[in-house]
Amino acid sequence: MSTNGIDPALEREVTALINREAMLLDRRRWEEWLDLYAEDAVYWVPAWATEEETTTDPETQLNLIYLKNRGRLEDRVFRIESRQSWASLPLDRTVHVIGNVLVESAEGDAVEATANCIVHVYGKKGAATRGSRYDFAFRRIDGALRIARKKVIFIDDRLEGPVDIYHL
Amino acid sequence: MNGGTNRSRFSDLVDDRVDEGVFRVDRAIYTDKAVFEAEIERIFEGGWVFLCHESQVAKPGDYWATEIGRQPVFVMRQTDGSLGCFINACSHRGAVVTPLKQGNANVITCRFHGWVYDRGGRCVSIKNEEAGYAATERSGGRFDLRRIGALDSYKGFVFGSLSSDVPALRDHLAAAARWIDLLADQAQNGLEVVPGCSTYVVHGNWKLQAENSVDGYHVTTLHSVFAATTAQREARDATAGMGRTESGRIKGKVPSGTYDLGNGHMGLWAQHITPHVRPIYEARAWLEEKLKPAEVEWILNRGRNLYLFPNAMLMDNPSTQIRLVKPVSAALTEVTVYCIAPKGESKTARAARLRKFEDFYLTAGMATSDDAAALEAVQDGSLGPPSQWNDMTRGLSDLVAGPDRDARDLGFEPASSCPDWDHEGMFHGFYRAWLERLEKGSGVA
Repeated sequence: MSTNGIDPALEREVTALINREAMLLDRRRWEEWLDLYAEDAVYWVPAWATEEETTTDPETQLNLIYLKNRGRLEDRVFRIESRQSWASLPLDRTVHVIGNVLVESAEGDAVEATANCIVHVYGKKGAATRGSRYDFAFRRIDGALRIARKKVIFIDDRLEGPVDIYHL
Repeated sequence: MNGGTNRSRFSDLVDDRVDEGVFRVDRAIYTDKAVFEAEIERIFEGGWVFLCHESQVAKPGDYWATEIGRQPVFVMRQTDGSLGCFINACSHRGAVVTPLKQGNANVITCRFHGWVYDRGGRCVSIKNEEAGYAATERSGGRFDLRRIGALDSYKGFVFGSLSSDVPALRDHLAAAARWIDLLADQAQNGLEVVPGCSTYVVHGNWKLQAENSVDGYHVTTLHSVFAATTAQREARDATAGMGRTESGRIKGKVPSGTYDLGNGHMGLWAQHITPHVRPIYEARAWLEEKLKPAEVEWILNRGRNLYLFPNAMLMDNPSTQIRLVKPVSAALTEVTVYCIAPKGESKTARAARLRKFEDFYLTAGMATSDDAAALEAVQDGSLGPPSQWNDMTRGLSDLVAGPDRDARDLGFEPASSCPDWDHEGMFHGFYRAWLERLEKGSGVA
């Protein structure tokens, strides 16, 4: 066991899953990316309510993105792949770099973890580097960990260019 | 402009010969630095601009920091319930005095040298005052924060001007006031700005934001992918009720129109084919009891975008929005969006309103991001001198001077009416007001 009581094998598994998601997004392997998510996965990016606090209740406050099942992630892919979305043509190039992965809890099939991500974006109007904090919840389904919830605290405001699932 | 920066005749930039079938604007208006400087001075710092909604400064001591043109200002709810608006710069050495964008305070203390101002902007304390100033110096008011030139609100929407040489706010709003009524009067307990906002930067001139807010012509091309995406989602999820997306306006022809509302304000509307999916529909019985039939028709069944010259849009379309534009340079505009909603609406309606907002209106959403890309493409295409004119004559033969029947039914007096939101006649009013303000010069003494 590691010092926080989490099985090191589980830590490796979680780290690999978060890294894999980043790789699949950067390489536009959308179908494999979608497969990482549970059917009822929640994808939530709160908006900033003040300079210091994000919104906290996604139902009654504004979010940048709040999607309540995997199908809604498929919709985002559909829009990107349609080549009809001007914001997605040409598609921004991205590189995700994941760090600070920590498994916070593991009970039965439910695992929670946090991580940070720096995404370097290159698009029509130049380059930007954006930071995100991830709060993940995973669930083991048929032996494999799946993402049950991804909350992204997107620390940047005054956003340049689009913000879509592959930027986060 | 041929790249020059000595433009003295702004009138050359607007080729306004409607009688001859010509209305076009020189694309230099989007790119020229001298034009931009004149706009900031004469339009943004020389007249009324939108500041905030009263719900953002609801209680005594609530403050809201923003800008008028380049000048930081803050609105402060006074102890007696009235509003004050002050130049947000310490009388001493000019530092912005508000610690945060918004907050509540009995006094504002400059964090630089510790000068203290009360809610009315009076300088009530100076650190080590007796060692530096004569005893009577502060009492004369010369160390107080300066008030802006004019401040007023209309139905909860707060406007200010650095210049005091401005018409009454109600006169400035002209026919747009009636469109503000449609948003304000639909809320039986008043409106509130919902927590959370988003600011994004568009590499395009601020006037492209103004144009686009009432440009219906782009919707069936630019946003067809939005309609296709939400239709696919709703078929898959078997979405019912308010969760559905009104897409009649995107898919094809519905009754629609645009108006030149005077003083540069513009309005656009389109009929909703599924008004029952709108969150406001739950208030239908109350609306029908309290309001006139024409008002109910406009509120329930017509999506509306209102552009308030020069810096604000009030949208009541898929969702309800305040959109603010802040010009940064000729080619750069900062946009901030807020959801505004009736206080006390049901949780179902509030959630549906927010989900519709997130679907469409954000750069993280599935439509506004495409708008931003389109406007940036216009900016890029406007850079070269050989590419000089933007034509704005579409629908000219159908342009009606004054009100059409719909405007008369509701009771407002537009300068002109277009019977189709594909038409471009409302831009004429915008650019005439723009030109008038540039040629009038600065209103700031």
